[in-house]
Amino acid sequence: MVNAVKQIVIVGGGTAGWLTAGVIAAEHCQQPESTIKVTLIESPDINPIGVGEGTWPSMRSTLQKIGISETDFFRECEASFKQGSCFSGWVNGAKDDRYYHPFTPPHGFEDTNLAAYWQAAREQISFAAAVCPQTELCNRGLAPKNISTPEYAFNVNYGYHLDAGKFALYLRKHCVEKLGVLHLLDTVVAVNSSDSGDIKSVSVSTGFDVAGDLFIDCSGFAALLIGQHFGVEFCSKKEFLFNDTALAVQVPYQNESDAIASHTLSSAQKAGWIWDIGLPTRRGVGYVYSSTHSSDEGAEVELRQYLSETSLGVDSDSISLRKLKINPGHRQKLWHKNCVAVGMAAGFLEPLEASALALVEQSAKMISEQLPANREVMDVVSKRFNEKFLYHWQRIIDFLKLHYVLTQRQDTAYWRDNGQSASIPDSLQELLSLWRYQVPWHLDAPLIDELFPAASFQYILYGMGFETQNHPERSTSATKSMRNANSLFQENAQRTLNLLGSLPTNRELINKIKQYGFQKI
Amino acid sequence: MTNYVLLNNVDHKDLKIINTRSAEYGDNVMFAMTFPFEFRNIQSCYPIFFQKNADTGQLYPVALFGFQEKENLFLNDDGWDASYVPLMIQRNPFLIGFQEVKGEQGAANKQRVVSLDMDSPRVNESEGESVFLEHGGRSEYLEKTSDILEAIDNGYNNNKDFVNTLLEYELIESFTMEVTLNDGTKNQLLGFYTINEETLQNLDGEALGKLNSNGCLQPLFMIIASHSRIKTLIEKKNRQAL
Repeated sequence: MVNAVKQIVIVGGGTAGWLTAGVIAAEHCQQPESTIKVTLIESPDINPIGVGEGTWPSMRSTLQKIGISETDFFRECEASFKQGSCFSGWVNGAKDDRYYHPFTPPHGFEDTNLAAYWQAAREQISFAAAVCPQTELCNRGLAPKNISTPEYAFNVNYGYHLDAGKFALYLRKHCVEKLGVLHLLDTVVAVNSSDSGDIKSVSVSTGFDVAGDLFIDCSGFAALLIGQHFGVEFCSKKEFLFNDTALAVQVPYQNESDAIASHTLSSAQKAGWIWDIGLPTRRGVGYVYSSTHSSDEGAEVELRQYLSETSLGVDSDSISLRKLKINPGHRQKLWHKNCVAVGMAAGFLEPLEASALALVEQSAKMISEQLPANREVMDVVSKRFNEKFLYHWQRIIDFLKLHYVLTQRQDTAYWRDNGQSASIPDSLQELLSLWRYQVPWHLDAPLIDELFPAASFQYILYGMGFETQNHPERSTSATKSMRNANSLFQENAQRTLNLLGSLPTNRELINKIKQYGFQKI
Repeated sequence: MTNYVLLNNVDHKDLKIINTRSAEYGDNVMFAMTFPFEFRNIQSCYPIFFQKNADTGQLYPVALFGFQEKENLFLNDDGWDASYVPLMIQRNPFLIGFQEVKGEQGAANKQRVVSLDMDSPRVNESEGESVFLEHGGRSEYLEKTSDILEAIDNGYNNNKDFVNTLLEYELIESFTMEVTLNDGTKNQLLGFYTINEETLQNLDGEALGKLNSNGCLQPLFMIIASHSRIKTLIEKKNRQAL
């Protein structure tokens, strides 16, 4: 075959690099007849950012595909269960202001749109609690499964919280020892082009060149290949999403037996929001904010205040902060010539809804499934890849912005500015005007592999108190489904009760995984 | 409820144990744990499947007596109608436990001890088999029960090795059995696991050799042979429905 794609070179060894290596190597390098080799070059001088600590449920199938045992993953990566996000103070900042975006879609979501029927009961019960058991499970810190549930299977849908540093190390070990990925601990010092403008090889500091047919840029914000070498334009999205700075801390528990939250808690602040993620041995907390709307000192005061309120018995004043800069946006193209960017090199918006790792998984999956057989067809694949992922980026921006625009908060310029129509993408404005009269539904999402399904939009809209003036009683099909909807609400209430009585706490289950492990069946 | 205490020949010198098999004494159980070393006897009476311990998620083999909770189709007015009663049933109301004993150098050793459930209706002072002899010696019945408890204790470890080996070869799968009785009523058996016979048939010689040297091959086929006993259970259930 002419110019067959055989050598895949990944530059960068954070979570993005190793996940991508794992997905590709598990699919393309395991058969005696396989001809593809994956090499990953990781600089010993660069520490991974290591604050991406939340995943989506998609991580379960990604890990399973790579051939990782869920028990080992829990034992090695400080993992805990995540069933969704809880937003506190986003609607009006009052004490009881909180709502959930759980990972399980509304009950019966395949063919019945419960959001339409819930509107009539909106004063009695929150949308998420009416259609999904996870609100109640999260309120009590319960796990999404039992020790007798097989690995990766669930009673209610879940993703993970994890220690990003340990996760990258664990993935590296698995990729190198089990999947045959070649690991070069070296620094890329030059990028060498061929006549066609493709990358021919990269030179490393020990003095040799690593040649490749496809290069994957996982070098983080440095964007060594897609940015520094190719100069593909970076599109800032700061006009829509203001947060550009984060202060991150690690907070110990007071007692070994303290509850581990089953959700990411996102608490709105004066100029941004604070994430709070529970791992088995510590919490990961951080304030992500807009430097236009708050000084670093002001943000630190707010963060320390939050820590002192939420970490009783822990000397939170002495905890040191780590500052990270964010440039919200993404590359104008993700795949250029024979180079595709994955992870921070492709872009980053903000930690809300933990979309970063999900995008890495999706990117790795598409690269692997559509892996071009040779250089001739690579341009077809890259065109499709760019179309799909630019669409994903735009949808993520719409979805993240949705969290901000529906707020009633007027207490700071940050929240007032977030409501300015100039800061809202046209695509989102269109959707919002539509949703005044119809509830989000399957056809709102044009792609089959949409990152955020209509269910996610429903949870945020109705969690934020958005009102849709729909009239199910006027429609033939909706009237017919009315009885079905009522029994779905009842089933959800019953199922919630059953689960409350049968699920262990997150802490109990994680201890059992460490002691006994999950069964494969 | 249960109330386990350590057995001793002072407090328990007059103790007697009723060994009648009936629902009244708690024999109305749907299944009981079993062990590879008794599979030969078990398979001649009961089907063998696997269950998960709800507390640990670990699989263990069980002998099945019925199709729903508290149903034991082998119990009748005359007792337990089978040529072999599983050890886990025979051991009642005794249990093997461990006690930490300080050794000579002060090192803690674990020692096997026999405990019994004082709340069991089998335990009394007037009826049944004596536990101790008149002057405090162990009765033949207690000697026999101690042997059973020791066998069970070894059996726990056998089960762990057996199940882990089977899992390693992906020989266990979950299954649902639907049983239709003569009167048309249906019973569904949920939450049990069985041998994946297709995987077993496709094992190569090397794998079979390993299973054999681990002592897993014979019990594996005992389990498969035991499944012809499902028919026995259905017949009993049909007769009960008459």
